[in-house]
Parts: sequence; C-alpha cells; structure tokens
Amino acid sequence: LTCPVVCNFETHEYIAVHDDKVLRIWKNEDINLDKAFKATLSADVYRIHSLPNGGPVVLFKGGGVRTLDVLLEAPQQEIENVISDEVIRWSGAFMEGQQPVLIFTTEKDGDFFVYIQKPKLSSLHKYKLEQWESSKPLCFTAHITNQTVTLLCLCSNDSVYQVLIPLQQDTEEEEAEKEEEILSRSLLLNLSVSGSVLKGTSLVVLDKDHVAVLGSLAAPGKEPRECLTIWNTKFQTLQTSKELPLGTTGQLWCYEEKFFLTHGKVLTVIMYKCETSSLAAAVGKLKDSQTPDVSSFVNWNTLEDEKLVVSFQSQESVALKSEPRMNLRSRRSSAAKVQPENVSVGQLLLNLKDASTYVLESELRQLMAKAPTPDLQATIGCVVTALTDRCKTNPKYYPKNFLLQIVETRDLSYSLCPDLMAVALEKKDVQLLQICLQRFPDIPEEITYACLEAFLSISEAHLQSEDVNLDSVICYIDVEFDNKEVKTEIVENGFNAEMDQDMCDTKIPKKTQSRSDGESCPVGPQKAALLNAVLHSAYTETFLLPHLKNLPAQQAILFLRYLYYLYVKCSEKVNTTLPGIRSPTINQIMDWMCLLLDAHFTVIVMLPEAKELLASLHKFVRAQVRFYSELNKIEGSLQELQRLNHLRDSQTYSIEVLEII
Amino acid sequence: STTWHPPPEVTRIMVNHRVEKAKRECVVWAIALLSSGTVVSADSFGRVQFWDWQQGTLAESHTVSSSAALSLAVSEKEDSIVVGTSTGATYQLQLLPVKLGGLEKRWVRTKPFQYHSHDVRAVAHSPSALISGGTTLVIRPLMEKVQKKGYDAVLRKFTFPHRRLVSCARKARLLLFQFSQHLELWRLGSTEETGKDGEVLPLCRMPEHLVQLKSKGPEHIYCSCVSPCGTWLGYSTASRFHLYRVRCDGDGVSLRKVPKVPKLLPPAYQLQFSADSDSLFVASARGSVHVLQLLEPGGCKLLHIACGCSEAVYLLAPSADGHWLAAVSGDWAIHVYNLKCFKHHCVVPTYNCAVSALAIHPSTNNLVIAYSDQQLVEFSIPEKQYTGWSRALQSRGLHRAWLERDSPITHITFNPKNPAHILLHDTYLLCVLDKSLPLPDDSTLLMNQSTLKQLPETARKRQLHAFKICKKFQPLLFMDLLDENCLVVVERPIMDFKTQLPMPVQQKKFGT
Repeated sequence: LTCPVVCNFETHEYIAVHDDKVLRIWKNEDINLDKAFKATLSADVYRIHSLPNGGPVVLFKGGGVRTLDVLLEAPQQEIENVISDEVIRWSGAFMEGQQPVLIFTTEKDGDFFVYIQKPKLSSLHKYKLEQWESSKPLCFTAHITNQTVTLLCLCSNDSVYQVLIPLQQDTEEEEAEKEEEILSRSLLLNLSVSGSVLKGTSLVVLDKDHVAVLGSLAAPGKEPRECLTIWNTKFQTLQTSKELPLGTTGQLWCYEEKFFLTHGKVLTVIMYKCETSSLAAAVGKLKDSQTPDVSSFVNWNTLEDEKLVVSFQSQESVALKSEPRMNLRSRRSSAAKVQPENVSVGQLLLNLKDASTYVLESELRQLMAKAPTPDLQATIGCVVTALTDRCKTNPKYYPKNFLLQIVETRDLSYSLCPDLMAVALEKKDVQLLQICLQRFPDIPEEITYACLEAFLSISEAHLQSEDVNLDSVICYIDVEFDNKEVKTEIVENGFNAEMDQDMCDTKIPKKTQSRSDGESCPVGPQKAALLNAVLHSAYTETFLLPHLKNLPAQQAILFLRYLYYLYVKCSEKVNTTLPGIRSPTINQIMDWMCLLLDAHFTVIVMLPEAKELLASLHKFVRAQVRFYSELNKIEGSLQELQRLNHLRDSQTYSIEVLEII
Repeated sequence: STTWHPPPEVTRIMVNHRVEKAKRECVVWAIALLSSGTVVSADSFGRVQFWDWQQGTLAESHTVSSSAALSLAVSEKEDSIVVGTSTGATYQLQLLPVKLGGLEKRWVRTKPFQYHSHDVRAVAHSPSALISGGTTLVIRPLMEKVQKKGYDAVLRKFTFPHRRLVSCARKARLLLFQFSQHLELWRLGSTEETGKDGEVLPLCRMPEHLVQLKSKGPEHIYCSCVSPCGTWLGYSTASRFHLYRVRCDGDGVSLRKVPKVPKLLPPAYQLQFSADSDSLFVASARGSVHVLQLLEPGGCKLLHIACGCSEAVYLLAPSADGHWLAAVSGDWAIHVYNLKCFKHHCVVPTYNCAVSALAIHPSTNNLVIAYSDQQLVEFSIPEKQYTGWSRALQSRGLHRAWLERDSPITHITFNPKNPAHILLHDTYLLCVLDKSLPLPDDSTLLMNQSTLKQLPETARKRQLHAFKICKKFQPLLFMDLLDENCLVVVERPIMDFKTQLPMPVQQKKFGT
C-alpha cells in the first residue's frame, strides 16, 4: 500500500492504492483484496481524500486532482503536472458549499507553497508561504470557515503559526496571469508551559479555539515525555495533557470527537469534548454546577487498552477499520461502567485459574504493573480475589508476602476483596489483619469482631514470633517486658510474658494479675498493637454490639483490662492523648469500654475475678469525673472573668458606682 | 559622616569611610567623648565605634545591632556604655581586661536587653542601673552593682509621663485632653440613676466631643489647661503660647482666639487658671510666673510677673480663694506668692527630692505636696510651717507598700464637703487620704478596700485607716473630683495606642 486507505461514505466502499498507481476498491463483505476491483492509473497517487458529501478526491503526486468518479470513468486519462519539482508535504480536503476543495502544501529548496484546488471547477491557486527563517514547518492542518482557509502550521521552533487564505471565486482568465501571492503568517500559539517546551509532531484542530498537539514535553533537566495536549488558542493556555509513557509514532488523528493514536503497540482512542472557551474555563475556574451536562472541560476517557498488534503498514487504515468497533465499544462501556475493562483481565484470570502458583503470581504481578491508573483498583481487586479463591480451593496455598505487599502498597478496601480478611482470619495471619484493619475503611462489624476475638485468643507466645507493627504501642507500653534481668520488678508489677500466657490458658487468673489495676499492661506489646488496630477501625455500635456479646467472658475481661490500662495511660497526660503513630484516642478507648461493658455487664458483674477490676475502674472513673467537674467550674469562672473584663474593656465611657470605705 | 570641632583645630572623622556598601548613607545618631580623648559614635549601621580624636582614626568598631544605634551613654567611671537601637533593644558595652588580671583592656559587648518595642531614643547610665527611654521608660538595675535583693534591684517600667495631660473644668464638666499635636475638649455624660458599688449606670446624656484644636506647625504641645468655668482654654508649645475663648451656645461650640496675648518668654511649662477663672498663671522656663488677667468678652492683660525662682517653674498651685500661689521650680524649691499684694510669701523648706504634685486646700490653705520618693507633707501657708498632721505622718512614717510604689503622685485635689479628705492618684491607684483616720503601720494591709467590703459594718471600724486606695482604674491618666460625690477618672489602655504604633523597623517578611 502506498497511501492510506479511505472509506467512501456514500457507497461504503474502501479505497486503497498500492504501487502508487493501482487503485483497489472493495466492500465490507469482500474478503480477498486480490479479488477486489482494480484500476491502474496513469500517474502516481499522493493521497485519496474522502469527503462526507462529496465523494473521494484523488491527489496525484504531480499536484493534479480528480474526483474518484471522474477518474474511474477513464482510469488512463492524462493527469497534468501542476507542480514542477516541488514535493507535496501535506494535503487536506474540505467541502466548501457543494464544492470539494483540496489544499496541499509543497516544498522546494526550503520554500513552501500552498495550492488550493477545486476539482469540479478546475480552478487552481498557488501561494507562496512567507520565508520561514530558521524554523521549518513540521506539520500542517487546515479548516475552512467563511470562505477562508485557515492553515495552521506546527513549526520546528515549537510554535503554531496561522496562515489565512481567502477562497477566491475568480475566473480562469485572471488566474492565468496571476503572480504567485506571498502569504504571511502570524503566531497563533507558543507551545511552552512554565519552562517546559512541547516538541510537537502532530497538530489537529478541534474547534475554533482549540488545537490538539501530540509531541514530547521537554522540561530542562528532565527526560522528554510524550504526551497529548490540548491548547486553548484564545487564551494561549494549555487546557490539558495526557502522558503517553509508552511512546507514539508521532501521528495523531481525530474523527468525530475522538483522538486516535498509537500508544506503544496499542491503538488508543481518546474521547474529548470541547466547551465554548471562556476565561473561567481557561484558568480552570469554571464551576461544574453551572454546566451540568458538561462535566469537565475535556473528558479523557480511555476506551481501549486491548493489545492490538499493529501489523498494518499504515496506521490510519487501522484507525479507520477499527472505527465501527470503537463506536460499539464506547456504547458498551458507558452502559456497564462498573466493570469496564475486565474482559481481558477476567479472561486472563480465568486462564490462570489452573496455572501453577509461580506462574499465577508472576502473571498477576505483571498485570498489576501494567494496569492503567483508572482501572488499577478494580484490577487489583480481581487479582486479590483470584488469590483468595485459590487459597480457598487449595488449603495449603497462602501467598502471605504477596498479599501483604498488595495490601500495603495499594489503596484497597474491604469491599474490593471481601474474602481477603476471612482468609487471613482462617490462616491466623495477624500481620495482614492488622494492616487491613489499619487501611480498610469499610470493614463490616462482623469481621472487626472476628479479628478482635482472634487477637484475644491467640497466645502471646505465638504472637512473639509474628512480625506485628508495634508503632502504636511502642511509645507508651512498659518496655523490656521479657527482659529476664529486670524480671523481679516486672513480677512485682504483676506481669511477665509467661504469666500472661498462663492467664490465657488457665481459667482463673492468678491473684497477682487480678490485682494489676491499670498500672501495667495486661497484654504483650504485639497483642496490644493488634488490639489498637481494632480500636482504630470504624464501626457502628448497633451492628457491633450483637457480635461483641459472643466474646468469651475471660477474653472480655482481658480486653476490658487492657482498655482500662489505656484509659489510665491516657489520663496521665495533660492532653489525654497517647503518644505514637496510630495509637488509640481517648474517645475510641471510652467508646469501646462502654460498648464492652454494655455487652457483657451481667457476665462481668457475676465473675469474681472481675470484681476488683470493676471496683478500681469505678474508682478511677469517679476520680476523673470529679477532676473534670472541678476543671469545668474553673473554666466557667475564668470565662465569666473574661466576659466581665471584656465588658469593661469595650466601654470607652461609663458612669459607675464606686464605693470607697 | 560627622564633624567635630575641638578648639582650636578641627578634626574631621569620616565615619562612612570604610563602608563599601556606601549606597546607604550612614547617619551618626549619637556621640560621646571619653576623658582619654576617645570619641564614641553610634550610627545607623548599628555600629558603636571608637575614634582617636586627634588622629581621627578608628580604634575599635563593634556592630551591636543590625538596625540603627540611636543613643549612647557612658557611665561615670567610663568603663561601661549603654547603646539604644531602633529595634527597642539596648546593649551594654564594658571595658574589660583582655586577660584576667591583665592591664590591657578592650571594649566588649556584654549584655543585650530588650525592654522596648520601638526606638530607644535616649539612654542614661547611672552607677547602678541602665535607663532607657522610648515609648516607655525602663530602669534596669545592673545586678552586679546592687548589693542586696530589694526595691532597688527591681526592673522598673514607666509608660506614661509624670505630668498632667488632662485638665478638668469642674463647673462646666468639661475635660481637655492634651495630645502631642492637638487638644480635644469633651463634655462629660451624665446619669440620673444611682446604684450599688460596681454597678454601671445607664447614661441619660452621652459624652460629647466638643472641639478638636490642632496646634499649628510641627511643635509639640508642652502644656494645656481649661478654666474651671470651661470658657477659657490655653496651651503652649516650645515657642508660642495660645489662649482661646470657648463659647457654648446651645449645642454649638465656638472657639475664638484671644488676640494680643502679652508677649511672654516661651516656653511655658505649666498653665493654671484661678478657681474663679479670672486669671491665668503661666509658669515660664525662665523661672518666673506670669499672672494674666482675663477680660470679658475675650481679652487678657499681663497683671504681674512673680519672680524668685532660679530655675524653670514646672508646677503651679493656686489657692481657691485667690490669695496664694505655690510654684515649684527645677531646683525643687517651692515658692509661695501672695497674690493680693503680689509679694513673695515664703519658701517651703527644701527636700532633696523632686516635687511630683502639689495643691492648696480650699478651706485651710494648707499646701499638700507629694514628692517623687512618695513622701507626703502638709504645709500651712498662713503659718509658714508644717501642720501637726504632717509632722505626725513624718514621725510615724509612711506605709512600706506606699513608699515602694513605682509611679509618683501626679495630681492632688480635695473634697470641698469634707476638709479631712485629700484625693491623690498615680498611674496605678487613686487614694482618698482621710486625715481623721489613724495612719496605717507596716503590719496592717495598706490596700484594704476589698477586705473592708467583705466585712460587716460593725467590724469595719477597727480596720479603717487613713489611706483608702482604689486600684480599679489602670493605667490611670487623670482623676478629679467634680463635686462631693462625683469623681472623673481617665484611663488610657496601653493596647489602645500600642496597636496604633508602626513597626519599629521596616523588615521584609516573606509573603507580605
């Protein structure tokens, strides 16, 4: 093929040229190109332009123009050579009224010429473009408005110039004597934004105020990045840009409010929408509420990220051929936006269902790395679901590190991977549970409770070996809990690791432990950190309370004891906050304490070992209440004083009664 | 640069000479001469420099501040210098031996102090304290020079001048406020209600700003006064004395300048109208008191010049009956004149302390004098001797708490209905001194008003003493008795004018 394939919109035929001179025309149902209609022309074709209402127009390399109809009547007709030894650089076709207009630019020894041809009137105008000094035109584009051709030219000096050419209705006689006119250009746009310069490769006009430029953005000291940009020519602003990290061929097409470009090995279709430009929009201050039907200035919407192996020589043919499918897809994606892209991901996961563990993980890692930003969350959700599914079917399989990595590095939520925490609970993976509790905003109360129960029931000895994040406890908990050298002191305080373990195992705690009245931590630091994670998670009382009632009495007392310990610790500080990262707040502690007492009050009251704890808790709370009521009184008095003072201050003149005894 | 002329030859010292960044002009704000022949300069670059006065060469240079050094004072021993700067900081430089016990001495910047928010325009160096003045006056004792911890070792701060800036027309119920460049005349509001202690009464008439009188030219107003009847108003600047006739007709107030005011030798340090508003006493800087007779409808003539003071007269007190006039001069001598026969009557025995306020009792013609060391005396003018009560007070001694107050009494007035009452005030308290009550000793509580108020009537009697002190109004600029049960008090909250002051030094702050 020697020129892009076009579609005749009137007949729905496709027209291609190969070997410069051989014309091929076929329809959708034709399968074999070799069997398609064939016509050999007398001159080399530069390009065929398809116009919506005017039929295809053929531009020959010599500058001659014929409509396809005329050409097909006599394929071997002689084509005149309009340009002597100039080379066509760019061509475009437009409809002006009922007349097709063909514009093309040529180059010869650094001089550029513009030709405007109307094939039906056989009129030809030639213009010379103003000398372009150092900058070389890289790309042209044009549009016709009000009998005027606006030719835009992207130059090598990173600027877009505008050339206005009037469409003349003059007769042939005059035209013959006409000297070639020199067209002057005017600077339309400078492609630079705060120091970085866009090295444009392709230029497309979107509407009267907007142009799209594909190119690489080069900021000083940074690697150039390829990106698609939309510029507002009225306000000289960059409206938006989209990075294309995988690289492009430098070509950009635009049909029916969609951009087509190759991004890596993929043809990407991007929808855009241009609003009427206003200053507010140009500076990004347009309020969405005022124009509800236009959500933002330019809507980027990646519809397609399927791997299309581009095997065609011409990119544009792909664009045109795939266009009907694109439309189809866009419809579907808007209909089912919730899971737009998972056809391929889902398919892939389905394929991997029976793959080996290693293959699965490496494939999933790859998938995560590749997933484009908007679909990332959903993709990762699918990945995690795939992993947990596998865990469920294969009890021996548990990719702990992989899951940890995913949860730690991605912003997941419970609803994205509902089975993850259940699996982790089953596997008693406290580390993962801790991270989930810290990170997921939407854990159901049932799961929160399950975590709490699991944490309370796991033995301290088992926790010692777990790599639990101790950030939330390290700042306030009694350190050196298992240091044997200070053991005596610790025993006096009523705590050591072994004893604590005993407490969990034996039904009745030893007397020393029941005496621990909030002075020392009733649980080890790992368990404390895990419990803190529970305290931190969001919950609704009504939903949590029924679950909490199921907590075994011993565990409830242990938890209450820990809450009491936290409460005492909190109250030690003036600002009633515990030090450290993600340490529970006083409100969280109080709420959980109330909740726990509500859930287990009858049981706790009956338990002899809880009696002392309750008594000391009561005493402490009563002291706190008194203390705060005194503070409130002081605050009230101070406020009153301040008010009086203020009252006096504000009066610049007053008559007061002053008694001097 | 500065020029300095020691006779007989002229040595010119170029202070700016060694500054490379000489784009800014260097201004020498203060100089001092040491007995060794060293000239000390303080300049706008924040430097204190020591020059050899004969050679004109720079001996030492100390950059004490990044902003201008404005003032300089040397101690008597010439071993210490205090420097005031435009940021409100003061610095002490001391002449110290380079080595312990060595003979070679150098000037070293030792102590920085920051007691002011704005320019320190003046500094003084007493043997035991650094005194600096800007928007406030601060006395900073040098702790190494103070022997024991006590009253002398306390930092003292004065915000208001110890001069009367408000005068009151008792009969007309007007107040005249003196500002640096203008005067404001206000009519007091009134009420018809009464109430209990501390109550704020509703006003039936609002206070009224009658007139604002701007002084012409750049000169500051030295003193001002309004006559008791409220129809005369006078003020003096450094070079001129002005007298106005105030006419209130209905709601309107008109001011008419009195023409042909007798040529007085300015400046006047104090103006005082007689109780009957018939004459005006002008205390002059030359030590004389001019008695002007005020004439209807708006004129005046010089009646008499009372001489006898060797220094400037800065305080005046006429008697209510127009018979006596007491004048205090700069040498702290108090002269009493007989106005009936224009004769010098007597001199109050001198006391080695400045007089801060004085007044003559309307019925007894006893002169009550407050000294800056907080001593109070009562001197009978007719008898030319201290009264018995005054002698009793002296022998008994004043209460310790009274003596240790920071600010001196600035105004004394009397209660016409109760001759035993003397009303006094300083910046922080107003006091009704009841001569009929026993004097307090150091063991009793001086400021006992709040205690008394809590006691039942019967128990109060035993606790009463002569000093009835009220500290409700602070800072107290002025207090006067309008009639037997009406007291006018002027407060000036410090924040009111501090907030109006510009930034001490224009500093470029990021983001402003």
